[in-house]
Amino acid sequence: MDMTGEHRIAAPRAEVWAALNDPEVLRACIPGCQELEKTGDTTMEAKVVQKIGPVKATFTGAVELVNINAPESYTIQGEGKGGVAGFAKGAADVHLTEDGDETVLTYDVHATVGGKLAQLGSRLVSSTAKKLAAKFFDNFHQHLTDEAPPEA
Amino acid sequence: MYPVKYHKPDTIDDAVAALAAGNEALVLAGGQTLLATMKQHLASPGDLVDIRGIKGMVGIRTESDTLIIGAATTHAEVAGSDVVRKHCPGLAALANGIGDRAVRNMGTIGGSLANNDPAACYPAAMLALGATIVTNTRQISADDYFQGMFTTALDEGEIITAVHVEKPAKAAYAKFAQAASLFALVGVFVADGPHGVRVTVTGAGEDGVFRHEGLEAALSSSWSAEALDGVEVSEEGLNSDMHGSADYRAHLIKVMAKRAVAAA
Repeated sequence: MDMTGEHRIAAPRAEVWAALNDPEVLRACIPGCQELEKTGDTTMEAKVVQKIGPVKATFTGAVELVNINAPESYTIQGEGKGGVAGFAKGAADVHLTEDGDETVLTYDVHATVGGKLAQLGSRLVSSTAKKLAAKFFDNFHQHLTDEAPPEA
Repeated sequence: MYPVKYHKPDTIDDAVAALAAGNEALVLAGGQTLLATMKQHLASPGDLVDIRGIKGMVGIRTESDTLIIGAATTHAEVAGSDVVRKHCPGLAALANGIGDRAVRNMGTIGGSLANNDPAACYPAAMLALGATIVTNTRQISADDYFQGMFTTALDEGEIITAVHVEKPAKAAYAKFAQAASLFALVGVFVADGPHGVRVTVTGAGEDGVFRHEGLEAALSSSWSAEALDGVEVSEEGLNSDMHGSADYRAHLIKVMAKRAVAAA
């Protein structure tokens, strides 16, 4: 599954970059994230609980930042195991462009979902991913600006 | 297997108490989604609260021009009800087309609405008819109730008890079923009722049921299938998956809308 998007954030690029590298901010913004611990300079362990309709699955996994080109871009990649539910893995290329006092964030995600979730929930995977991404950026925008994001 | 505690309360108060006291407790309304999910171990509630034994939860009646359907009324009961057929034949026909016979004999209207599957049939009818969702604590208009796929206005522990549907002048549903699941690949409900002319779409939108303004405007000026010919249905925001691309779904929305108008 592939997904791209663009968000304008009313904050300077250095601030956005710092937030994108702060495990506390990521934990607060990732929908359903219960734990996110730094295990190295560029590696983290995460636990995320997702409830989509009747399904409730807990994913644990490792997240790594690669291709770091501060303060412009990085790739965040990870793999989560959801027990009987299956697994999800993916990578997102994130790019920040300065625009005056604001920052334009673009992302390009490639992700795979496997196991029962993929077999039984194939019709829901793409719209769920879009919804979670939107929720993350809403939270992220709100965290940086204390304001609700502008209507897309 | 894993242990599950089964509760069958007689009153709504007991049901609310059992939900609050349970371990990740869930309401069992018909189980046609929940039990299948549990069998796959994709949900593992510690407690199930079966609401079908609560007095008043099952049954169909009218109060003047309002149809009242108990939340635990099965699809088969709605489909076969003379009261529903008289009040809103389109709703009876919709219920008769949900899933297969086994699903219709067990699945309930309240269960379908609480789950709000993005391809379920009932949400399209409730939104188009401007129905009221009645819970143990309040009444919620369908306009406020549906909040995106699998998301509703229901609070934690809130239980749907009934739905109220005012009699429409015309109403019908047309569904293009996904062949294996029998869910709507695209389903369109058209209604001309106390809440105006409405056209709702299920199965197609990325975020569940929605109203289509263009089709509503065309039908408002002239209630006929031909009136929909010139309406542009955008593929923006529509699902694209192995069963159908977004532009295919956009095409089907118009085809189903025309069939529904012809049937209404």
